[in-house]
Amino acid sequence: MKKKQYAVIGLGTFGYNVAVELEKKGIQVLAIDNDSEIINKISAFVTQALIADATDEKAMEDAGIADCDTVIVSIGESIETSILSTLIVKELGVKNIIVKSASSWHSKVAAKIGANTIVYPEFEMAKKLVDGIRSPNILEQIELSKEYNLIEVVAPEEILGKTIKSSGFRNNYGVNIIAIRKQIPFINDDGQSDMKEEINMVPGPEDEIDQNDILVVVGSKESLAKLKGDK
Amino acid sequence: MIKGDSQEANHIELGKFYFLNNKFNEAVAEFKKVLEINPSNAEAYYNIGLIKEVSNLLNEAKDMYSKALAICPDYKIARDRLNKLIGVEN
Repeated sequence: MKKKQYAVIGLGTFGYNVAVELEKKGIQVLAIDNDSEIINKISAFVTQALIADATDEKAMEDAGIADCDTVIVSIGESIETSILSTLIVKELGVKNIIVKSASSWHSKVAAKIGANTIVYPEFEMAKKLVDGIRSPNILEQIELSKEYNLIEVVAPEEILGKTIKSSGFRNNYGVNIIAIRKQIPFINDDGQSDMKEEINMVPGPEDEIDQNDILVVVGSKESLAKLKGDK
Repeated sequence: MIKGDSQEANHIELGKFYFLNNKFNEAVAEFKKVLEINPSNAEAYYNIGLIKEVSNLLNEAKDMYSKALAICPDYKIARDRLNKLIGVEN
């Protein structure tokens, strides 16, 4: 099977790190930017690094963009350049285009011209930060669909020492515990106190919820809001 | 790591014993006794920090690790844990 190839156009902090991380996962990356200094810097970490103008259709064609399975357009400083580049990538027939957006208008235009996925890291991080400040017991939150989320929550005090069944967690909150993360204290080889994490991936009804357990929970946003104490 | 007098060392050992057995309140009480004897015992701060972290009291944990590092900047395990909590790669 042909190895998948990705291209990253625009090597600011986001694009640079996406390119390097993809390559670390064994994925071939073509990295493109118009700044020779950045290209020199990244060339040791990716399959191919090219200085090119992302708004020049011929240059993009010559770079081999059409052969890529996925192209990530991460041009942050100019929305116009990002949109034009996205359009060129689309016209070259790339099946999967991911665009880093800089604003809600940027997202709307990118979607209109055929971007398959739009990421808005600043907005997503801001949302996450505010969620973390508002609900410090919620350690992680992932949107599964418009209605359902997965969250990691510190086990509420009222269910400590109870089994999953006797805690009435499902009945009271209308959510399901799909895994339990446990923090296990131990003494390391240097004689220092330390801790490691163990995950119960298939929690059963008779499994006990201990102090300091972190519950991985799936449920509707409404039910999870009740668990978080938002309602 | 940081050696104090035998009384300090005894409280440290007892604190670790309680920590291992998930008796966190008792463990913290022992480490606080260490700090009463010697307020510059970085290991006691580190251990309290670890208990706060296990208890998901992350801001308090960061505070304790920072105090341990202020006393002993080369305290690697405290530095590693603080970096992890802050989000800095080691």
